[in-house]
Amino acid sequence: MDFSSQIASQLNAGGVIPEAIVIVTLLLVLTLDLIFGRKSVAWLPYFAIAGLLASVTALFYGWDNPDPTSFLGSFTSDNLSIVFRAIVALSTAITILLSIAYIENTGTSLAEFIGILLTATLGGMFLCGASELVMIFVSLEMLSISSYLLTGYMKRDPRSNEAALKYLLIGAASSAIFLYGSSLLYGLSGGMTNINTITATLPTGQGLESLGLAIALVFMVAGIAFKISAVPFHQWTPDVYEGSPTPVVAFLSVGSKAAGFAIAIRLLVTAFAPVTQEWHFIFTALAILSMVLGNVVALAQTSMKRMLAYSSIGQAGFVMIGLVAGTQAGYSSMIFYLFLYLFMNLGAFACVILFALRTGTDKISDYAGLYQKDPLLTLGLSLCLLSLGGIPPLAGFFGKIYIFWAGWQAGLYGLVLVALVTSVISIYYYIRVVKMMVVKEPHEMSEVVKKYPSIRWNMPGMRPIQVGLVFLLIATSLLGILSNPVVTIANKSVTSSLVLKPSLEAGANNISASEVRTIL
Amino acid sequence: MLNSTLVLPIIGAIIIGIIPGQKESSVSKNIALIFSSLTFIISTLIVINFDYTNGSFQNQTYIEWLPFLGLNYTVGVDGLSLPLIILNGLIITLAIYNGETKENAVNKPKLYYILILLLTTCVNGALIAQNLLLFFLFYEIKLVPIYLLISIWGRDKRNYAATKYLLYTAFSGIFVLTAFLGLNFLTDGSSFDFDKITTEVLPQAKQILLLLTIVIGFAIKIPIFPLHTWLPDAYTEASTPLSMMLGGIISKLGTYGLIRFGLQLFPDVWADISPYLALLAVISAIYGSLVAISQTDIKKMIAYASLAHINFVVLAVAAGTSLSILGAICQMFAHGLIVALLFHLVGIIEEKTGTRELSKLHGLMNPYRGLPFVGGLMILAVMASAGIPGMIGFIGEFLSFQGSFSIFPVHTLICLIATGLTAVYFVILLNRVFFGRMENKTGYLPKVQHFEHIPAVILAVIIIFFGLQPSLLTNLSLNTSNAIALLSN
Repeated sequence: MDFSSQIASQLNAGGVIPEAIVIVTLLLVLTLDLIFGRKSVAWLPYFAIAGLLASVTALFYGWDNPDPTSFLGSFTSDNLSIVFRAIVALSTAITILLSIAYIENTGTSLAEFIGILLTATLGGMFLCGASELVMIFVSLEMLSISSYLLTGYMKRDPRSNEAALKYLLIGAASSAIFLYGSSLLYGLSGGMTNINTITATLPTGQGLESLGLAIALVFMVAGIAFKISAVPFHQWTPDVYEGSPTPVVAFLSVGSKAAGFAIAIRLLVTAFAPVTQEWHFIFTALAILSMVLGNVVALAQTSMKRMLAYSSIGQAGFVMIGLVAGTQAGYSSMIFYLFLYLFMNLGAFACVILFALRTGTDKISDYAGLYQKDPLLTLGLSLCLLSLGGIPPLAGFFGKIYIFWAGWQAGLYGLVLVALVTSVISIYYYIRVVKMMVVKEPHEMSEVVKKYPSIRWNMPGMRPIQVGLVFLLIATSLLGILSNPVVTIANKSVTSSLVLKPSLEAGANNISASEVRTIL
Repeated sequence: MLNSTLVLPIIGAIIIGIIPGQKESSVSKNIALIFSSLTFIISTLIVINFDYTNGSFQNQTYIEWLPFLGLNYTVGVDGLSLPLIILNGLIITLAIYNGETKENAVNKPKLYYILILLLTTCVNGALIAQNLLLFFLFYEIKLVPIYLLISIWGRDKRNYAATKYLLYTAFSGIFVLTAFLGLNFLTDGSSFDFDKITTEVLPQAKQILLLLTIVIGFAIKIPIFPLHTWLPDAYTEASTPLSMMLGGIISKLGTYGLIRFGLQLFPDVWADISPYLALLAVISAIYGSLVAISQTDIKKMIAYASLAHINFVVLAVAAGTSLSILGAICQMFAHGLIVALLFHLVGIIEEKTGTRELSKLHGLMNPYRGLPFVGGLMILAVMASAGIPGMIGFIGEFLSFQGSFSIFPVHTLICLIATGLTAVYFVILLNRVFFGRMENKTGYLPKVQHFEHIPAVILAVIIIFFGLQPSLLTNLSLNTSNAIALLSN
């Protein structure tokens, strides 16, 4: 065989075409902005969105890739990574749609914002498929550093500055801890960096070396838990969500989190397969803490963005149930829920952005009486929040039921019960906002709503928000009822993934529904 | 035909939603009225095709929906659900008609009628669902419409009442869902369809655990004694049409669930928990009656009376004989009609006099200045509620008590005392409010228009009609109650 073609087949660069498209888009966005300046604002965002959609299309064509391993094992473009990369790319596309008016209003440059956002997306997408320790770290930091920059993007606002600094400090510390865990893993395996092959050389059984493995596990979980904001690594979330520009928060709550969960699955089921019991235990604890703290503390919030921050902590707790279950249904329910969460959470943030654009506030009490002034916004926020709370027949209900069902089938009774109770608590604080908007009488209207501007969609950047909002609303209302195709894709991505195969087989030996029946 | 009882109200709701900018409530109301009465008519037409000799589900539809969850669209009716569907159509139609008796029409009319129509679908859906998860879906959806209906159009303490209702019902949902998830293993996780789930293979202890979870879930909804505290608040703070619906039909979802998912799924262990259930039912009945005696607010009195009377159903279900199940179905039907009538009449009294306080109302029977016709209907409703023969309340109570006497003689006798107490508090009500002299300073009360009487008259006619001709109702449910009860032996 020809040497170069052998290299090419090992590099297998076709797996990263979606990322390549994003990179090209990113470079073009920056260059075109340099050439055309502020005039480019009118079409640049749509160009970026088109690039992202092209990337999603490329992902679609990469589905069922017979040879998923690219770049000498650094990157895996299997179906599992494709669904997560699609979630990240879609969340960015919608975020851009929502951010046009917001960023323009603050008087900062939109192109730079989109540039950094696309870099973050790129980091997230690479993270979803990264299967080599250095590659994981590089893409994780790519996502993190762009996130810090985005957080502090409104540099005239002291809260944005504070949030960026806080985020940077906590993020850098957790990256260092993650890196220490990686270096331990590298040492323990005798010099392997590919997470798929690392297991073979990792120590098993009792002894000092498996203690080292446990430490590596805890350190790396700390780094991941920071990304998915699991309690007790959640403290940055409320401050960052409150301080940073709202579209950035929308991306952080969906795209960044999806990438975090993707790497959690990939890393834990491969590199840490010998200590499955242990990481299941750790994530059980994280899930319980996240659900309880996230949902209980959200009750007391007065700012919408802070409430959504705590709610996103609680939602991460729900998703972790699927991870702990470790069954096919468990992983597929995670993917399904994250996909639905994309629509409902971005929908909620779209409404928050819209309200803040028109009134300049995000206090929950300022929403009082909005029904009379802005029915579309009221309907949108109500549906998205109720969906987050798990009210049928909206998307969130089906997502939650699937997660609970998967957890129950895997025998996680305690975890599911905690989730059920905390989701009742969550209904309370979600419906509190709905009550503010719908129930309040005209004379109980907040001052802000009394002075509500007349609704005009033809101002710059408003039409995209309207389009985005309506799209998200339709998705939130209908994706639950029509969820069969989505679940089929999620299932397919789980069953066809070579990474998950060993863990699923091991899990299937432990418990299965028919065996439960005989045990009963 | 059955599916259209779900689809029609939603179509109505969508039409109301898309008609642009109607500030007056009359248009929305008429549309809602048309669609709810269509639903009612269709649900009564189901009776024509209904095979009386068949005790199992009929008119079934099966559509595979979400196989990964085992959630299929499986619906059907039997003699247990059909009377309740008809009741639902009737009461909601009357409640919608009632929605605008006041001079100041409902504010936010669109939202109001959309929510009520959604509620119709939810209740019908829960009653005809033959898939556990589908039932739970409808059971949960109704949470939000009722919450909003209480908290937007309720009385002064509506916020508190609505939140309490929300939390109690959501917790009820948790119990129900937990038990359903547990039951799902019985089909190897492949489906939640009702007829695929039989608990025979389960050991006793697990069955009791699951059954207890289900019973607690529905006990909150019914409600049974220690779990009832949401009821007085929700019933009294709700507006009249919503009280009619809450007491008339939505409380039946609890007893329906108890029969369908308790008794019918766990016949083997039903006897193990039924004595406790019967005991709680008796306590609730006596408690409800005694508390009703001490009330000074008419609506609260009726709320507690409703609590007492719905627990006769629980007693009958606990007994589980074929006659008592039939009695339970009749009592549910009767209770729905009577409570709706009572709440409707109280609504009129409150509207015309401006108060619900027993101490402030006197001599409303006064033929010139008072509300004589309302008084007459009230006497009829009270008699029906107290179980006077010739009205449907008697049929329900008599069958329930006769059916449960063989199993729980003592409990039944105590419940008979509770019916006796019904007479006590309702006589207090009649004496204080309707009889006696009307104070001169009260002056002429506003006349009750004829159209305002229509719901009450319809309900009264049905109450008397079925009281004289109960076989129409009992024939419908006879074979179903036999089928359900046979399982328990």
